[in-house]
Amino acid sequence: MKSFLPVAVAIVVLGLLQVLSGGSAYFVYLAMLVGVNVVLAVSLNIINGLTGQFSIGHAGFMAVGAYLSAVTSLAMKDFQLSFLPEAVSNQVFFVVSLAAGGVAAGLFGFLVGLPSLRLKGDYLAIVTLGFGEIILVAVRNTPSLGGALGLPGMPQYTTVFSVWFVVFLVVLLARRLLFSPHGRSLAAIREDEVAAEAMGVDTTSYKVRAFVVSSFFAGVAGGLFAHFQSIITPGDSFSFVKSMEVVVMVVAGGLGSTTGAVVAAVVLTLLPEGMRSLFNLLGGDSDSLSIDQLRKPIFGLLLVIIMLTRPQGIFGTHEAWDWLRKKKEPAT
Amino acid sequence: MSEVLLEASKVSIRFGGLLALSDFSLTIQQGDLKGLIGPNGAGKTTAFNAITGVYLPTSGEVKVKGEVVNGKRPFQINRLGVARTFQNIRLFKQLSVLDNVRVAILAETKPLFADESVERLRRGGRASRAVGSMLDAVNNYRDWWRAFLRTGGFLAEEEAIEAKARALLDVMGLSHRVEEFAKNLPYGEQRRLEIARALGTEPKVLLLDEPAAGMNTREKADLMVLIRELRSRFALGILVIEHDMKLVMGICEHLTVLDHGETISVGDPAAVRADPKVIEAYLGEAPVHA
Repeated sequence: MKSFLPVAVAIVVLGLLQVLSGGSAYFVYLAMLVGVNVVLAVSLNIINGLTGQFSIGHAGFMAVGAYLSAVTSLAMKDFQLSFLPEAVSNQVFFVVSLAAGGVAAGLFGFLVGLPSLRLKGDYLAIVTLGFGEIILVAVRNTPSLGGALGLPGMPQYTTVFSVWFVVFLVVLLARRLLFSPHGRSLAAIREDEVAAEAMGVDTTSYKVRAFVVSSFFAGVAGGLFAHFQSIITPGDSFSFVKSMEVVVMVVAGGLGSTTGAVVAAVVLTLLPEGMRSLFNLLGGDSDSLSIDQLRKPIFGLLLVIIMLTRPQGIFGTHEAWDWLRKKKEPAT
Repeated sequence: MSEVLLEASKVSIRFGGLLALSDFSLTIQQGDLKGLIGPNGAGKTTAFNAITGVYLPTSGEVKVKGEVVNGKRPFQINRLGVARTFQNIRLFKQLSVLDNVRVAILAETKPLFADESVERLRRGGRASRAVGSMLDAVNNYRDWWRAFLRTGGFLAEEEAIEAKARALLDVMGLSHRVEEFAKNLPYGEQRRLEIARALGTEPKVLLLDEPAAGMNTREKADLMVLIRELRSRFALGILVIEHDMKLVMGICEHLTVLDHGETISVGDPAAVRADPKVIEAYLGEAPVHA
C-alpha cells in the first residue's frame, strides 16, 4: 500500500492547487500549457534519453492523441450518464476520451517503433520525422477531422488538476521505471546494444515497448491539449517545430534525466511569457505575435549556449532526487 | 561422459569474397576448459560471433544442448545458456558496476500466461495467432505495471536480483566498487566485471574473448586461478580466446588453432605446441620456448 502514498499526496496537493488557481484564467491557461509540455518532454525522454533512440516526431503522436480524443468526446458530447451529475459525467467522458487518444497514439507508437528494430540514429530520426508529417498531411485532407481549418467545439474539460495529475503519473512512471529491471535494460540498450543483446536483453521488444509507452503519454498530452484549446488545427500545435521544441526540452534538461526534462519544459514554456512581462516593463509594445516570433531565435540561441557550456544538458544524467538522497545519507 | 552443451559443426562464415571462418568444429562439455588461439585476424572472434548469433553462419550448424540455434537472435542464444565477454570491453559505461550485473540477471517472474501455451496459440490458425500475440503482449507489459505499482512481488524480486549481483561481484573481487560507474574502473577490473556480468545470465558455457588483454603479469596469474575456480564453482564449460601463450598453455586442457579461418591444429597444449604447422603459422620461424 505504501506505493500508493505518492498518489494520495498528489491528489491532495493538486486538489489544493486547483482550488487556489480558480481565480486567474491566465494562470490556469499557463499551468495547463506548461503541464502538457512537461508530459511531452518526460515521455520523449523515455525514448531519447533512457533508451538512446532518436525520435523527432513526438508532435505526431500528440496529434494522434489530440484528434482521437477530440473525436471521441465530440461524439459523446450530447450524452450524459443519467446516474451521475453532469459535471462528473463529463469528467468520465473526458477520461474515456483521453484513454482513447492515448491508446491510439500507443498503437501508432508500436507501428513506428517497429522500424526502429532495424534503424539506428539518424535513420530512425528520419522515419519519425516522416511519421509526424504523414499525420499532419492526413489530417489536413480528412474533412471529418476539420481539414486544414481545424476541428472546433471540444468541450473545455481540461483542468489544472487533470493536467498535473498526468504529469505526476508520467514522472512517477519514469522514475519507477528507472529503478526496475525494465529501466536498466533500456539503459543497457542505450549504452551498448550489442552487449545488451548478448546479455539476454530482447532489445527489439524493449525498444518497441519504450516507443509504445512514450507515445501513449504523448497521446494523452494531446488529448489534454485538445480539451483546453477547444479547437485543434494541424498547423503549429502539432508541427515539426513542436516536435523540435520537445526535443530541445529533453536535450537541454539533460538526455536521460526526468527531472531535467521537467525543469527544461517549465522554463522553456514560460520563457516567452516572461519575455512578454519584460517587454512591458521596458515599455515595449506587448504584441504577442512578435513575442512568439522572438521565441524561436531565442530557442536556438539558448540551445547553442547550453550545448557550448553544458553539452550534457542542465542536469546531465542526474536527477533532482539523487541529490536529495545524497543529502539525506551523508557519505560514510 | 557429460552432455555436450555447445557444438559447432563445420561452421563457415563468408564476408563477400573473404572466407573468415572455414569448417570450424568444436564441442564444449561441462568442465571443459578449452582454448582458441591463432594469429591476428585468424577468425577467433568471428567464431565467437557465429556461436553467439551475432553472425549467421554461411554454412554449418551451431547447437546448444542439442538444439540448432542458427538464425536465433543473440539474446535467445544467451538464454539457452551461452554467455560471452568481448575483446574490446563492452560494458555499460554510464551504469554502476552493480547495474551492469543486474541487467544480466533475469527476474524469475512467472509470466501471467505460460510461455508454452502462448507459443502453442501462436502456431495455430489466424484467430488463435492473434489471441496468442495479445497474451504475449499482456505478458510483456506486465513488468511495466509491476514496476509502476511496486508490488510486493516486484520488490522481493528486486532484492533477490541485487543479492545475486552482489554475490557475483564478490566472487570476482569487485565488491568494493559496487556503486562506481563502470567506466571509472581500471582496465583489469573492467575485464573482471565483464565476466561477472556474463555470469549473471547463469550460463552453462562461458566464452571469454581475450580476458587477460591489457592486464599485468600479476593480474594475469590471478585471472588464471580465477577462471579455474569459476569452472568448478558454476559448473561451466569454458572456451577462452587468448593471445598470451603462457596463460593459454597454463590453463587450457585442449586447444584449437586457427589461421586465416582454417583450423590448422587441434589437441592438448603439448601436442599443439609441437605441431610444425602451428609453429610456422602462429609462432613464426623462431624456436619455441615454453
